[in-house]
Amino acid sequence: MADRQTRTPALQARTPAQELLDALGPVERFHDTEEVGAFGLPSGRVTEDMLAGGDETTAATRFGPLQKIHVFWFAGMSCDGCSVAVTGATSPSVESMLLGAHPGLPRVVLHHPVLNMESGPHYVRAAEQAMAGTLNAPYAVVLEGSISDELAAYATGGYWSGQGEEPWGPDGEMRPVTASEWIARLAPNAAAMIAIGTCATWGGIPSAEGNPTGAMSLMDWLGKDYRSTFGVPVVNVPGCPPIGDNFTETVAAILYFLQGFGPLPEFDELGRPAWLFGETVHRHCVRGAYYEEGTFAQEFGDPECLVEVGCWGPVVNCNITSRGMINHVGGCMNAGGPCIGCTMPGFPDKFTPFYKRPPGSFASTTVSRMVGSVIRPLRKFSNNHLNREVRWDRQGATPSGFGREKAEPSALAEINHKFYDMLRRSGDRGKAKADVWGKRDEAPSGGSPNPRI
Amino acid sequence: MCFKTLPVEFDERGQATLRGGIPNPYDVTVAKPDVGTTEEERTARIERLMARNGHIKDLNMDPVTRIAGAMAVHVTADLENRAYLDSHAVATLFRGYEVILMGRDPRDAIFVASRACGVCGGVHAHAAAYAIESAMGITPPPLGTVVRNMTEAAEMGYDNPLHLYLLAGPDYSESVVKTTNPELWPKAEAWSCPNAHIHGFATMADLMTALNPLTGALYREGLEFTRLSREMVVLLTGKYPHPENVVPGGVSTTLTLQALNEYHSRLGKIFDYAQRMMAVWDDIPTFFYEADERYQLTGYRPSNQIDPGYWDDPYAYDATYANCNAWGEKRWSTPGVVIGGELLTTRLTDINIGWEEFVEHSYYEESSTTRFATDPLGNPLSPYHPWNKRTLPKPGAKNWKDKYTWACTPRWDRQVVEAGCYSRLLMTATAQKMPESRFMTATGSSMRFVVPKGETGEREVEWRVPEKWNAFERNRGRAYHYLFSQLVALESLLQAYDLHRRGERRVAALDPEELEKAIPDDERVSVGWWGAGRGWLTHHLVMDKGKITNYQICTPSTINASPRDPWDQPGPYEEAVMNTPILERMSDPSDFTSIDMLRAIRSFDPCMPCTTHVHTGAGEVVREVNTCSCGGD
Repeated sequence: MADRQTRTPALQARTPAQELLDALGPVERFHDTEEVGAFGLPSGRVTEDMLAGGDETTAATRFGPLQKIHVFWFAGMSCDGCSVAVTGATSPSVESMLLGAHPGLPRVVLHHPVLNMESGPHYVRAAEQAMAGTLNAPYAVVLEGSISDELAAYATGGYWSGQGEEPWGPDGEMRPVTASEWIARLAPNAAAMIAIGTCATWGGIPSAEGNPTGAMSLMDWLGKDYRSTFGVPVVNVPGCPPIGDNFTETVAAILYFLQGFGPLPEFDELGRPAWLFGETVHRHCVRGAYYEEGTFAQEFGDPECLVEVGCWGPVVNCNITSRGMINHVGGCMNAGGPCIGCTMPGFPDKFTPFYKRPPGSFASTTVSRMVGSVIRPLRKFSNNHLNREVRWDRQGATPSGFGREKAEPSALAEINHKFYDMLRRSGDRGKAKADVWGKRDEAPSGGSPNPRI
Repeated sequence: MCFKTLPVEFDERGQATLRGGIPNPYDVTVAKPDVGTTEEERTARIERLMARNGHIKDLNMDPVTRIAGAMAVHVTADLENRAYLDSHAVATLFRGYEVILMGRDPRDAIFVASRACGVCGGVHAHAAAYAIESAMGITPPPLGTVVRNMTEAAEMGYDNPLHLYLLAGPDYSESVVKTTNPELWPKAEAWSCPNAHIHGFATMADLMTALNPLTGALYREGLEFTRLSREMVVLLTGKYPHPENVVPGGVSTTLTLQALNEYHSRLGKIFDYAQRMMAVWDDIPTFFYEADERYQLTGYRPSNQIDPGYWDDPYAYDATYANCNAWGEKRWSTPGVVIGGELLTTRLTDINIGWEEFVEHSYYEESSTTRFATDPLGNPLSPYHPWNKRTLPKPGAKNWKDKYTWACTPRWDRQVVEAGCYSRLLMTATAQKMPESRFMTATGSSMRFVVPKGETGEREVEWRVPEKWNAFERNRGRAYHYLFSQLVALESLLQAYDLHRRGERRVAALDPEELEKAIPDDERVSVGWWGAGRGWLTHHLVMDKGKITNYQICTPSTINASPRDPWDQPGPYEEAVMNTPILERMSDPSDFTSIDMLRAIRSFDPCMPCTTHVHTGAGEVVREVNTCSCGGD
């Protein structure tokens, strides 16, 4: 038992998913539709049919071969935070994808427990059809939450994470079906398997040290050799929660590619969208320049770089500081939250205890403090100069009613600025000797030669 | 104050003692509540009916969709007499978050506990922070508490419309009503909405069409407004649903003037929207009650509710258990327990010592302890109290007589109580203890609100305590709670501006190094009393030698989704379903959709992710269970 979780994938003859299916055996039957009747179908139709209006397209506007694709969303050991994050997405938004508001996008039929109209057996009907090979279009599977080690619970007659029931008991009686089992059964014929959020991509909090459920990621569950029917390994969009747009954009990018007009989306060696996770979050951090200048927040709430109050941003792959959390608003460090590495395979156990500076930051903050102690005064000096109109320089006074406290620059500073300006204007083609014949001689730049004060 | 069931007495100062001379005073066979129907009587009645009625169906709705998380509801329905004879609520997911927390540094609790639920986002992070602060004796500076209130009020601004329009709303939409109750449709077409001038829908049919999923105007607008409120949250927290800014002793938000102004700029739109929301959810019950007064019984259960209060007074909150009754009663939303419509107490200690959790019908092994005989103030505690609880997960087969769910059974004074965001209105209105506000008044039987002007004008509205708590009143209450929470957001923003004006910038009590040094070595117990989109939320913490030795989360949906208790009292969902008449049209039993049950269940806004990982014990015990389970491996 403990062995199965700890031994290396290379030694594993079968994937954990295959082990579960071996233990559960094949399935032969599904819900009896006549017996079920309309139970759980209050709108009379499943969501797919309710939204079917206007989805007829010609090959010309469809751009490619896909008319429709089913997306099965399963929640394993999840907090539903990924679903919530996706409902916040705006580019594209989930409703615009479902209503086909994007040219070339195939119709996305989403089977999601939080959104669908039908409950109970009617909700799982499409997944049954996908297993039986009778679904009317290709399908992709999205997993939110970790995979639980259901073999452990199954042996005592129970489950950790159930979703729906099927007549798959030994004598055809109903038994709960777990998210893990659905995934294992649907993966072989899926067009794509997408893990959303850090639980599904890397195990996340449910797989943290001391967990009782044997939780693991989708990659760990399906194994290194898994390929979808389109030849793609598991795609990973991490984050706890992920940025909703990171997910919807990735799905859209894959669909644009499949329709033949989008470029092949690039994934990194862990299956992350490379264009979203290729950089560390520090590189686009709004506070990054404080690091460069060697000034650091010491108390919670301070405006400077957060590394000394526990920020791991310089070594974490994420794009939240540039993309924001929702509608380009927010972002952890933007608001004052130190990065705790929630997009990373090492989360959470390689980042705890929280609110404590990463030990690796001592060397680099010392260096940046040293460099910063030189850079900062120089920048301040130039900044003071640039905060003056040319006119003020000329007249030797600053007419600000807010009472500029600092005195006018000293003679030494003036000389320095003159020298600096000389350096700046070296190579300025405006100093060439050509006759400016297109205009009359006016006052020199900077206003009237005799300003009225 | 007195308990009805537990043998506990209170002196004039409110100090509690155990009534003397009772051996095993907390034993389930000793202190017993009055129970209406026992399980045996219920089963016998069903069997009697079964014998002479062919229209009784045993049906399992798994999964129930348009709720958060994984849940199934099993019903026995009598289609001839149009009644739900029996009902079992089944939480079908377990994740073990507290197990993961136990044995860790207390500084891990906020970020780990936050992940207990991604629907009510920041609430667990905050509850964890309150528990740690109380255990460690850290008092946040006023601005820290104000930022938390602003965050959590904005959070409700996302949570309530999400439920009303994405989850519950479709049950009242054109597409559903035309199918389940076609006789109502012509009525809806002819019925002029009394609030048409506010929400803009001339007839109920127009309104119902706007509730259609994805294509309806109200559905789409609801989704958009959840985004606007989430923008308000992430201005302060950086991230949603899991905030990045909650620290023990305050927050780490860099509270710039820009952040305050951006927050303010979004509030105006929200007040306009709140007016439309209340108008919609006032018209829906009026229409249904007029169409058939039996809709009053959809999801009905007696007025037994509980709430620990929400949104602290930044100048009163000091994080201590000793003063919790004083600062608790100064919350914007007053703590309280209502039994049979009567407000029994507003004291947090009374709420705490009456609290017990049972696992008779849940997939856990029993392991109550007597580790803490009293709370830190000397009030007696039950062995089933969360501080004494060490419940061990044990997956097993479903058996209605034995164990059938991952949720456990919380009870107060062994009574079945309900939690909801609307409970905040109920407690605050009846207690009349809320702080002075120019926008909100508690009258004893209602809450009066002044909606500040946005694009539409200022307006006064009133929420009255309903005579019968049913599905429609829960949804109506949720719409008014939306306004309540947004007015708290405004009051808190004004406090933040005021503090900012006075030069106050400190948002946390300790810096990271001081925090590390402040972790105590001795044993401490504490509780974080907070709220979620669905009401009640508590985190009970025990720490020793600087680490977490017990951690117990109790969420509103744990309370509401609870199974039978040791005395056969059904949980709130189960009770509400059994009270629900079947009013849908059927020409044949196969037409039965069970919409009335779904309306009853969804009106509670079930949120299962954080319901079902609660109450777990030491991980190694589970490992033993599992070792024998895996055969050869």
